[in-house]
Amino acid sequence: MAAEDLPSEFDVVILGTGLAESVVAAAFSRVGQRVLHVDRRSYYAANWASFTFNGLLTWIQEHHEESQPEEAQDWSSLLEEGEELIYLSSDPASISNVQAFCFTSEEDEEEEASSPDPPNTTEEETGGANEDVVKETSETESADLKEEETKEKPEERADGAEKEQRFTALNDGKSTVQTDVFRPITQASKTDGKEPGADQPTASAAQSQSEPAKKKISYAQLVKEGRRFNIDLVSKLLYSRGSLVDLLIKSNVSRYAEFKNVTRILTYRHGKVEQVPCSRADVFASRQLSVVEKRKLMRFLTSCVEETEEQRAYNGRPYLEFLCDQQLGDNLQHFLLHSIAMVTEDTPTEEGLSSTRHFLRCLGRYGNTPFLFPVYGLGEIPQCFCRMCAVFGGIYCLRHSVSCLVVDKTTNRCKAVVDSQGQRISCSHFVVEEGSVGTDWKMVTSPPRFLSRAVLITDGSILPSDSDQQVSMVTVPPIAAGCPAVKMVELCSSTMTCMPGTYLVHLTCQSVGSAYEDLSPVVTKLFRTPESHDQENCPSVLWCLYFNMTDSSGLEVEGHHLPSNVFVCSGPDGSLGHEHAIKQAELIFQKILPEEDFCPPAPNPEDIIYDGDNNSSSMGGEENGGAGEEENDGAGEEEEEKKEVLEENDGEEEKKEVVEEEEQSLQTEGIRLQPLETGSGSVGGSDSCSPPAGSQISRRDAVQTPEQHTASTHNPQRESASCMMGN
Amino acid sequence: MAGGSVSECKEYLFKVLVIGELGVGKTSIIKRYVHQLFSQHYRATIGVDFALKVINWDSKTLVRLQLWDIAGQERFGNMTRVYYKEAVGAFVVFDVTRGSTFEAVSKWKHDLDSKVKLANGNPIPSVLLANKCDQKKESSNNTALMDNFCKETGFLGWFETSAKDNINVDDAARFLVENILANDKGLPYEESNGDRIKLDKETVAAESKSGCC
Repeated sequence: MAAEDLPSEFDVVILGTGLAESVVAAAFSRVGQRVLHVDRRSYYAANWASFTFNGLLTWIQEHHEESQPEEAQDWSSLLEEGEELIYLSSDPASISNVQAFCFTSEEDEEEEASSPDPPNTTEEETGGANEDVVKETSETESADLKEEETKEKPEERADGAEKEQRFTALNDGKSTVQTDVFRPITQASKTDGKEPGADQPTASAAQSQSEPAKKKISYAQLVKEGRRFNIDLVSKLLYSRGSLVDLLIKSNVSRYAEFKNVTRILTYRHGKVEQVPCSRADVFASRQLSVVEKRKLMRFLTSCVEETEEQRAYNGRPYLEFLCDQQLGDNLQHFLLHSIAMVTEDTPTEEGLSSTRHFLRCLGRYGNTPFLFPVYGLGEIPQCFCRMCAVFGGIYCLRHSVSCLVVDKTTNRCKAVVDSQGQRISCSHFVVEEGSVGTDWKMVTSPPRFLSRAVLITDGSILPSDSDQQVSMVTVPPIAAGCPAVKMVELCSSTMTCMPGTYLVHLTCQSVGSAYEDLSPVVTKLFRTPESHDQENCPSVLWCLYFNMTDSSGLEVEGHHLPSNVFVCSGPDGSLGHEHAIKQAELIFQKILPEEDFCPPAPNPEDIIYDGDNNSSSMGGEENGGAGEEENDGAGEEEEEKKEVLEENDGEEEKKEVVEEEEQSLQTEGIRLQPLETGSGSVGGSDSCSPPAGSQISRRDAVQTPEQHTASTHNPQRESASCMMGN
Repeated sequence: MAGGSVSECKEYLFKVLVIGELGVGKTSIIKRYVHQLFSQHYRATIGVDFALKVINWDSKTLVRLQLWDIAGQERFGNMTRVYYKEAVGAFVVFDVTRGSTFEAVSKWKHDLDSKVKLANGNPIPSVLLANKCDQKKESSNNTALMDNFCKETGFLGWFETSAKDNINVDDAARFLVENILANDKGLPYEESNGDRIKLDKETVAAESKSGCC
């Protein structure tokens, strides 16, 4: 915590803690490079961050304030002969059109409900009478609804069949009863966000009508329980066989995160939300498919796994055309195009098929859908890589930036950076988030693109089922010509991203207009808001946020008007998976250290033992053997302690161990800590860390070399899921 | 925060944080406690996330204690959430020979309380360690002062420790674990996390690998 000066020399300096930058940081640190990783923000993960509710309110406020362009300080005094400066941009304007609305009461309902309010009763009676007209069932059902929502007990909401009945009942009868009217609060709604005069009377009258009927979660409660929210700025999922999952597993960074299965794929069609059957079990269990459709779907899915002549004939032609010619019928065609391939009507067949295959490949690895979502939100993922970087020696500073680069004029290489404190820090390579690079320096081939995002806090699931803890991926095809296709993810409270009794809904699409213009029509159709009509059966939106974010997926890591050893990481893109960021990170790593392994597995702390008085270094049989010398231009001598740890990864060639002052040294596979000169003879590890019975060696490909015979691999049985941290 | 019971034996896994200024002996305390080792020589902590100590608490209780060191490199105070999340207890360490490290204690405690809470919203139990007591120069008795400080800042208690001479390290740990266990028994499990997934090389769902075809 103490403010100290940073060391003045690093191998790699990284500005920005987004996903790609964080993966790069972990990768370099892991192979012994000295990494300085900074972010000008006060939080990790840049535009990939997740916030508590209160944190998000602060974020909103920050994006409403006029950002003061920092006056670029003149650091030319730090220059030496033959050098020049490149100033970085201090105001990356990647977020725009931020609008927040609160549709729930501000105060705790207890207080309001307790105050007697005569008009209430009248309104309530009128309401009841109207409902009578509608249909007999609808009244009883909506009474149930009220009762259900008063209670917070999840189990009480569980009866799926009943829900469905209500669904139809209310759909058939055109109930005009306004059980609830919401009061919009425009722009950065803070607790003091008072409504301008005009709307006030109607709004509050309408509000009091509804109080006895529904006890909605108030804004005050959202604030009070704010820490239970982890609201992501980007909305993505992990394909269970995608490159991020592979990397998490390969590097052991997975130890820092836990995941939930996306439990169902839904789609919006003919004004209704339907479940998309995607696994074999789903197909057979599906009630909306006929027997013939089931057979056709199974046949289609089986046939598209391998490329056929017939498919090749459609190359270049739209996937929709291909699907049409398969005579699948509207139902299946919709599911296959929008929910499984998740492409648009004019996507070429080969692309549509390859997305379909990817989807199918990912099914069943961890669950019945291809997707995983990290517990506590996506913002965890960059932080997991940052922690790995820090554990291997990377230095972290938030609220700290790089003002400019020091460039050697003759070699056109970045020799050093000047940080926001005016300290000159030498580095061999510099990696920077896109937002910090001024437009003059960037080579941009395509016009700028944007993503439209909406975040909703709702009071119910979009498709109630017998479990209230569903994680749903919802595809919403364009609701009108010219409208974008929207990807929606509904998260339940057990993902630890929202408070119990609420759902967190993320909507994402490529921008056509502003986020509000693009997404509010979809929100209005699927949820109950003040603008929606006849949506009594839909979940209510308690609070929502719209914003646009730059989609920088077209950006290259190099080839800009920047020194050759400067690499640019782009921000989040619009695709559902994480392939783009991971590919970029790997590319940058390979450009700088082509000989090194990208994110080799980190030793598992639970496998580390102290190995008595064995003083000699015995190498683990290392699967990535022969990684060669570190290309560590400019590594200072004082860093040898760290390198020593890592050079042990060099496999067969047993490096003479630099006997360090302290007792630990790590190996990647045959992991152990060795007491060195202190040599207290006790074999501490095996006594104190004795695992429960049944310990086994479970490391992948662990090769035992003769040197390893001292049984240093000590693997306490991996915890079963029920014993994991946090259970 | 606990595992399922295996027959009659209850097994717990607790994540405990060890925080404090640079060089106060966090790593030494962990090493002493877990590995019964001590080294005079200072070295920043590299490559190790946490150390595991398995305690046979009583005949029916097995406690697996993960002691999470802050990577020395997070010394600018910017720990990731990964570090804090789901911790159930903490040691805040200072060096009795350096007053400035004591002054930073409230800062660390505040940071801790703002970043992690128990499921019920209470702060996680934390214990203050006055380390390097073997090097203490004046033997001034400031017990009352320290007791008062703990009360004010919300520590369960404090211990004078020496990782070097193995003073009080075990006692402090036992004291903290007692409190964690008491918390655990008092709290109902908030939700079942049984369906959370750890990505692991071995993890493959029960269902056959191709769900569809």
